Amino acid sequence: MNSMNLILCAVAATALDLCTLILIITAYREKRSATKNWDWVANSMELAEQGMTYDLGCDEILIGRHASADIRLPDLSVSRYHAMLTVSNGRWTITDIGSKSGVFVNGNLVHEAVLHENDIIKLGNRRLVFRKRRDERVR
Amino acid sequence: MYANPVAYIFSCIFVLLAHSSMLVNIYFNGNYTDIKEVIVLGTAVLILDIVYFVVMLFFKQISYAVDFLLILILNMSVIFQSCFGGVGFNLKHYITCIAALVACKAGFLFCRNHKWIQEQKKLIYAAIGCLMVIILLFTGSRSMWINFSSFSIQPSEFIKPLFVLACATSVMDQQRRHKILFVNVVYENIALLGLTGAIVLLQWWCRDLGSLPTFMGIYACGFLLRICYPKAKFSKKKLIFAGALLLVVAVIGIRFAPEYVQHRLHVDIWNDKNGDGWQQAQALIGIANGGWFGVGPGKGYLHNIFAYDCDIVFSTICEEWGLLYGLMMVCVILIMIAIPLINPPRSYFHGTMSAGVCAAFVVQMALNIFGSCNLIPFTGVTIPFISTGGSSMVVSGLMIGMLMACQSPVFKEPKNKKKLKPVPAWRWTE
Amino acid sequence: MKSIRRCQHIISFIIVMFIIGMAVLVLKIQREAPFYMMNSDHHELGFVYDRKGDVLFDGTGENQYPDNYFIDIGNIIGDDSGQMNNTLVAQNIEKLNNYSFSGGLTSNGRASIYTTMDHEANRAVYNAFGYQEGCVVAYNYATGDILVSTSLPSIDVTKGYDAIDSFKPGTLMSKTLYKTIPGSTQKVSTVISALEIMGAEKLFSKSFTCTGQYINRTGLNIDCHNIYGHGTLNIQQAVENSCNPFFAQLIEDDDLPLDRLIEQYRKLGYAVNGDEDKYFDIDGIQCERASTNLTDKYEFTTQWGCIGQGDTIVSPMQLMMWQSAIANGTGRMTMPHLIDHCVNVNGTVTDTAKVEYSEQLFSPDTAATMKQILLTNGANHYAYSISGYNVGVKSGTAQVDEGANENSLLVGFVDDPAFPVAFCILIEKKNEGFLTTEQIAQVLLDNLRADF
Repeated sequence: MNSMNLILCAVAATALDLCTLILIITAYREKRSATKNWDWVANSMELAEQGMTYDLGCDEILIGRHASADIRLPDLSVSRYHAMLTVSNGRWTITDIGSKSGVFVNGNLVHEAVLHENDIIKLGNRRLVFRKRRDERVR
Repeated sequence: MYANPVAYIFSCIFVLLAHSSMLVNIYFNGNYTDIKEVIVLGTAVLILDIVYFVVMLFFKQISYAVDFLLILILNMSVIFQSCFGGVGFNLKHYITCIAALVACKAGFLFCRNHKWIQEQKKLIYAAIGCLMVIILLFTGSRSMWINFSSFSIQPSEFIKPLFVLACATSVMDQQRRHKILFVNVVYENIALLGLTGAIVLLQWWCRDLGSLPTFMGIYACGFLLRICYPKAKFSKKKLIFAGALLLVVAVIGIRFAPEYVQHRLHVDIWNDKNGDGWQQAQALIGIANGGWFGVGPGKGYLHNIFAYDCDIVFSTICEEWGLLYGLMMVCVILIMIAIPLINPPRSYFHGTMSAGVCAAFVVQMALNIFGSCNLIPFTGVTIPFISTGGSSMVVSGLMIGMLMACQSPVFKEPKNKKKLKPVPAWRWTE
Repeated sequence: MKSIRRCQHIISFIIVMFIIGMAVLVLKIQREAPFYMMNSDHHELGFVYDRKGDVLFDGTGENQYPDNYFIDIGNIIGDDSGQMNNTLVAQNIEKLNNYSFSGGLTSNGRASIYTTMDHEANRAVYNAFGYQEGCVVAYNYATGDILVSTSLPSIDVTKGYDAIDSFKPGTLMSKTLYKTIPGSTQKVSTVISALEIMGAEKLFSKSFTCTGQYINRTGLNIDCHNIYGHGTLNIQQAVENSCNPFFAQLIEDDDLPLDRLIEQYRKLGYAVNGDEDKYFDIDGIQCERASTNLTDKYEFTTQWGCIGQGDTIVSPMQLMMWQSAIANGTGRMTMPHLIDHCVNVNGTVTDTAKVEYSEQLFSPDTAATMKQILLTNGANHYAYSISGYNVGVKSGTAQVDEGANENSLLVGFVDDPAFPVAFCILIEKKNEGFLTTEQIAQVLLDNLRADF
């Protein structure tokens, strides 16, 4: 293994390393555009209740009492799988998936309803506001 | 990429640089008789790079990282395959690479809208069923291949992406529970279990026990992402139970495995050098011969061993280019699969799909690399994108296309969606 | 979101498991790469040297040596042809290969093995045999360095194996490593056992009569080599005269129970009555361990087994090792080694030899008494034939080939802290020539002395 061959191999390996690094950095940069795209899809909405806000990060969000719900409400009046939030065509819909106490949007018992800004959702004894996200995303 | 033109330009430049440095290494270090071979190879690789950089702009994507990684690994694989034993442009592999790129884009377009795929779930099951029937009827005497005049395809490979789609699930699908004899079941999970059982039996019949771990890996991912979802309170117990069950099944499987499997499990490759352990022994000797930096492109001798370009391809690359390069190549594939960790998918369906794709790729790579290096018994599976094999390349391209789809999803409800019947609240059970 | 994070956790888990597997693989390859290269067809072998730097094996195959230069060490040092597996080169070829994982295979590396052999002395001993056959092994019982190991007939490895069909039997093996009938040298083991079991005082108080033959309790004859008999003897005289009837009566004596005899033989290292065969490992070379059958101490085969025939077989190497346990006074054998140190492809010294001892075979008191017995034997009977050295020895004559031939053996040691050599000499078919073991011993010690 003479030194010329060694140098060429090392150079090729370094070039590949650099390339991989650049592509990882690219992937991180693109995360921002992906987040921006999601903000556009989800209309930058969030759910808020007294003192807590819940981010809406994916297109099917389970709300309920059990431990692996995306939005966990540890209140006995809330069922284990209470409601599901879905988004499509830019609109958020809340669906009741079999709760004991029902889902109320602006005071009306619904099975499935499209949500608009500042709607108030009542699940058992908990009250959530569906509103535009307050904090600015860091650019 | 319109949002990140700087990143795009830099990525293009560095991918071209990586390939060019490999070509320069071949020029000075490689084993060739005619400089024309190197020139043809170099031109083909660089042209494919540039063409793909332009073509990918036509697909409106949010993220192009996976595309760059894909073209990087594909052209690396073209260069590797063209150098084994002596530099000479491998046209067949080049064409299969282009087919893989086409399949990738097809997979991307197909899987972007997960709600549409969920509607087609029944069709996916039907397609898998058709493929299984084709395998039963058309592959010659319990083998895996269908041979046409000039090429052959392996239909069981095409079951993989469809199986990944079948294993992917959405939260809503998991909530559709029905009560059967005091137990709440989700019909879709039962159907999936049945399908997995059928596939396992088919692979057993075809003696393709190498692909079996891949399917089991994909099913295991799908299974974990199902049971962990609805009843998180019991998931730990269920996991331990499932783990114990798996162990019992594995032990039984090994005890009662057919003759040729038992033989493979117990072969001592150094004592049995001219029998069953031959390929693995030569593979290990090849890697030792290459050292960290390799003997030089085209200067290895592993190309004289059977299946040097698919089953023991890792050793062939390590011999010619060095163990360091082999490890970095594996690294590139791992980063490609780990992209969902950087940019998370935005729907559970895409999440489970990317987990299935990751499982398929990693299990295949593990079986190939660890098998050829004698850490586990030798099986005949291929490394995605690196090994030759038309079906393998196209299917891997399809699966990476699915990964791309996770990165650039579309959230449109299909127009003719079936509306669920509204049921009054007091009729629902927990 | 939790659900998405779950997918990410699974992906991370799978990737981490794979990376762990790859790390294990890379470590395994790095560690075992020299072993893999050993199994390939391409080797770049280095040299084997003796203790003074003389070449014993040339792996490059490119240099010229005088005719039959390697003939005296052919079947112990060996070569890489694969014809002789139980040799130094065949068992240590990894250490001779000029290979490292980072540097690859180089043709001008520094890989070599430096042995403890004294080539000059070895050659002198080989030449002393003339046309007769046999083997000699000698080592430094203070350090364990094997100084001389030659076995005839032998082969010069540079001449190749084309004439292999016409080789004499035993050419491709070193007889020092394989079991042979020990003859009266076996009495050393019996005396050691008796000393351990009954103690020196009682043993020296025993006296038996030899009339030329002895009819044992089962009615069979134990013949003495002196047909007129030795008269009444004590143990010292019995050893010096190598009297068979004395030993037969000693074995039948009630103070030497058979079960304790068997236990002591096992401690010495014999495989008794069908015990599993074991081997000594001398730098990868396998040396057979002794075996015997002792079933009934009044019975013919058992008695002969303790005297020197019967079912007892011992290798010359082990006979020599027992001498070291006596000579160093501890009752523990000094374990022999052939490699002094190795040098790897980059020139770094590796694998330096260390002194190692076996477990306790017998007590230091027994060793001291036995040493005195052998030294007295040496002084009384061998002072002239092996002159210039204070040696303790025991000779033996073994009936082989069902009585058709006789082998002559001599085991012993030099009692001199500045010249601590133990040896075993075997001349096969002694009646085919005029060579004696004492002559070989004189040549051996004179040549070794020059270098101490």
